[in-house]
Amino acid sequence: MSKIDGKRVVLSLVCVVLGFMIAFSYNLTKDNQGVREDKAWNQEYELRQQLIEQEKQNREFQKELLQKQDIVSKIEKDLAQEKQLFFNLAKDTEKYRMFLGKVKVRGTGLQVTLEDGTNMDPKANVNDYLVHEQHVFKVVNELYISGAEAVAINGQRLNRDSYIICNGPVITVDGHQHPAPFIISAIGDPDVLGASLDLPGGIKEQLVDDNIIFTMEKKKNIIFDPVIGG
Amino acid sequence: MWLPVFGLLIGIILGFLVDLDIPHEYSNYLSIAVLAAFDTLFGGIRAHLQDLYDEVVFVTGFFFNIVLAAGLAFLGVHLGVDLYLAAIFVFGVRLFQNIAMIRRILIDKWSNSRKKQKKNL
Repeated sequence: MSKIDGKRVVLSLVCVVLGFMIAFSYNLTKDNQGVREDKAWNQEYELRQQLIEQEKQNREFQKELLQKQDIVSKIEKDLAQEKQLFFNLAKDTEKYRMFLGKVKVRGTGLQVTLEDGTNMDPKANVNDYLVHEQHVFKVVNELYISGAEAVAINGQRLNRDSYIICNGPVITVDGHQHPAPFIISAIGDPDVLGASLDLPGGIKEQLVDDNIIFTMEKKKNIIFDPVIGG
Repeated sequence: MWLPVFGLLIGIILGFLVDLDIPHEYSNYLSIAVLAAFDTLFGGIRAHLQDLYDEVVFVTGFFFNIVLAAGLAFLGVHLGVDLYLAAIFVFGVRLFQNIAMIRRILIDKWSNSRKKQKKNL
């Protein structure tokens, strides 16, 4: 009986091992399959989700890109306008510099020469035959009024704060003395300038009445150097 | 008689309760070992029915086959030869043969007993 019992015990041990292995294997296989399927499904789901997310993002970015492009084109237009503006400003600056005498200018113009009268009556007052500063003023003002862009007296260019004073037999322009004859040159349209001086009862006639020898010459090329220290 | 059945139950319960996590690549070896165990078990039953049962042979065969099958599969994986196929084939064929033998023996016994009963009647 004890022999049989021993057999049974050994057999039972074998059965325990077998049962354990079967159950364990079954468990493992079941788990693995579940996990694997789950994993695959999850992964696919996740990837799909990612794809959707990515596409959404892409669409947003696309929209953003379009907006940005709009902005860029606006900026470009602005830039073009600004360029135009700057171009105009530069032109203006050049013009103003020219008016201020800061740059060398060159162009067509008119040259007026004022000389003291010569056919003097011995009884008369000599002052009536001299060129006075008001005569120069008149000419200069008339030239400016009629559109002269730059004016110079005896080659000395006038700027915005030039002054002309009569100082005995000479005229002082910005501290430089100039004797007669006075050559007043102006850059501008020579025809316009000439015509404005030549008006009946205009500057020319007034000056001639004052016994001044008035000569006018149209020039094709007058060059003014910039005013130094101006 | 109930002891082995009891042992089997205990084993199954243990197997379900134990929550060991074996790496996936090793589950192949386990399944082959299970196959080897089945083969040996049915071989043992057949031997018992044929009165050829030897406990030592059975027990050693049980464990040795398990280890051998797993080892063979392991070797096969590392050599690049699918040796576990050989193990599955051999054990599978033997399993079917053994079960067939058991069936025949049981049928024989059953018909014999019926004849005896008829004779007795």
